[in-house]
Amino acid sequence: MDPKLLRAQIERIDTLPTMPGILKKLLAVIENPKISLTEIGNFISNDPVLTTRVLKMVNSPIYGFPGRISSVQQALILLGLNVVRGLLLGVSVFEVMQKSMQGLWEHSLGCAVTSRILAKKKNIPEPEEISVSALLHDIGKVVLILRFKEDYERVVKEAEAKDILIMDAEKEVFGITHAESGAWVAKKWNFPLSLVEVIEYHHKPSLSKTVPIQSAIVHLSDILTRSVGFGFAGDNYVPQVSPAAWELLNLSDADLRETIDEMDHTLHEAGDFLIGDGSA
Amino acid sequence: MKRGISLLAMVPLKSVLVISRDIILMGVIDKMLHQTCHLLFFRDFKLALDFIYNTPPDFLILDLADNDTSDIRILNDLKSDPMFGQIPVIALFSEDFDIPSWEHLLADDYLRRAGVESELGKRVELGFFRAERIVEFNPLTRLPGNITITKQIQNRIDRGDIFAVGHADIDFFKPFNDKYGFSRGDEVLKMVGRLILNVVKEQQPQGSFVGHVGGDDFILIMEVDAVEEASRRITAYFDKLIVTFYDTVDRERGQIASLDREGKERIFPIMTLSIGISHNKYRNFAHYSEISQIAGEMKHCSKSVSGSCFRMDRRRK
Repeated sequence: MDPKLLRAQIERIDTLPTMPGILKKLLAVIENPKISLTEIGNFISNDPVLTTRVLKMVNSPIYGFPGRISSVQQALILLGLNVVRGLLLGVSVFEVMQKSMQGLWEHSLGCAVTSRILAKKKNIPEPEEISVSALLHDIGKVVLILRFKEDYERVVKEAEAKDILIMDAEKEVFGITHAESGAWVAKKWNFPLSLVEVIEYHHKPSLSKTVPIQSAIVHLSDILTRSVGFGFAGDNYVPQVSPAAWELLNLSDADLRETIDEMDHTLHEAGDFLIGDGSA
Repeated sequence: MKRGISLLAMVPLKSVLVISRDIILMGVIDKMLHQTCHLLFFRDFKLALDFIYNTPPDFLILDLADNDTSDIRILNDLKSDPMFGQIPVIALFSEDFDIPSWEHLLADDYLRRAGVESELGKRVELGFFRAERIVEFNPLTRLPGNITITKQIQNRIDRGDIFAVGHADIDFFKPFNDKYGFSRGDEVLKMVGRLILNVVKEQQPQGSFVGHVGGDDFILIMEVDAVEEASRRITAYFDKLIVTFYDTVDRERGQIASLDREGKERIFPIMTLSIGISHNKYRNFAHYSEISQIAGEMKHCSKSVSGSCFRMDRRRK
């Protein structure tokens, strides 16, 4: 596919749909007249699509903060309760490939949880920023599936048949991977550079210039989430950790063991969020 | 010909967003307005919201003929937000629609269905004209300005209300503005206006008020019991948000080099927000100036502390 044309098509995407289960819960949240911004924020922070929706809005030129806001709580306080409610009212759901999307959702959420744990281990000052970028790291897959459903089905088949990574199959079919398509929409929606870079380089963290540590953390979280078997990112086996990223993070065996223990604990709760039917 | 002139002058057509499920009505409106306005049609208000938020139209025509109460609720939410409240709205009703109190339907004008063909064009024109006359809002933050602030405070005094007034201002705003330029400074002012408004409205949805005096000075009016918690949240959020407005290098250093009032280069810390609060719980105020003076005094007190902070007047006399 012609990359220019591809990019133009992808940039034309205005909104992304979410999972049906999330929408059900979302309606309960919006209809609760006593809900606080903090509670709405905690809810939104579990869903990549709702998160992109508020970040897109607050970073849009009309609000006047393009490229500045990468935290959901901060976005909500600048948008205000009424605008947030209205924004969430228009959310629609995926009608295609729901099954594989469910796995991707779990993977994204698992990655966000893991990044937060690693960020705390490495004493990064704003762990929320990392967990947001981890939550959004695979948004390019959502974008490709949404725009080019048939082509993406071919990607999945090809990866299976040739026994290669989804990422490499994407490259064969589209000429780019989900990392590029994700970065394109993130740029188009005026997301802060730190978010764009993590999305773009989560498979090649050593290329990140402004946020190398954050990119390395999300890269490692991606792989750890796959190895503990939480969610499904599309691949049947786990890709290799980038040696440069591993070196940069400089984690001890004990660090790693503690991280995996904590993941085990926290991912259970995260899993409940996605499978619950919204009656809670 | 009018339209020819506006094309020559390169004035873009005003955008009018129409929400209706009635195909015939949409056709009628299209015929009437397509030469003078840029028309956008939506069948569903909910789905139009995303568009409105990202590209606010100059005018909204909302067909309420099928009496959808959720549409009225969405309209009221939209109109109570200062960012979108200034968009003129004409509501269209069926002949037998029972109009509720205008307090619960925040439209600027209305028409019955039978009047659309004869009246809509002129009504839209008038709506545009009227919108341009309202200038009391600060153009940057869209918050009400001094005249409204004074009126809000004086009304409360005259009614005998017990209330608190917070006076917020940004410390080290000028060196920031000098170093990064006024457009980045304007972004900060917008952020602060938005932040104060949303925290105040969440803390106390009814009867509270936020105004923009001008420059980096803001006023908030709340109940005495709610004002401290709101101020605590505003200052805490401010400290988190403000760093994103600095370049990475300055953010990491925690300071900037800029010029002081004498034009000499000096080092300035990251901006902070100070809120001085006065209230009439323990003493009476006869006039706005007394309240604002005390809020000002409190603000000076709080400047002696480092970081964003607020301070409430606790003196009994």
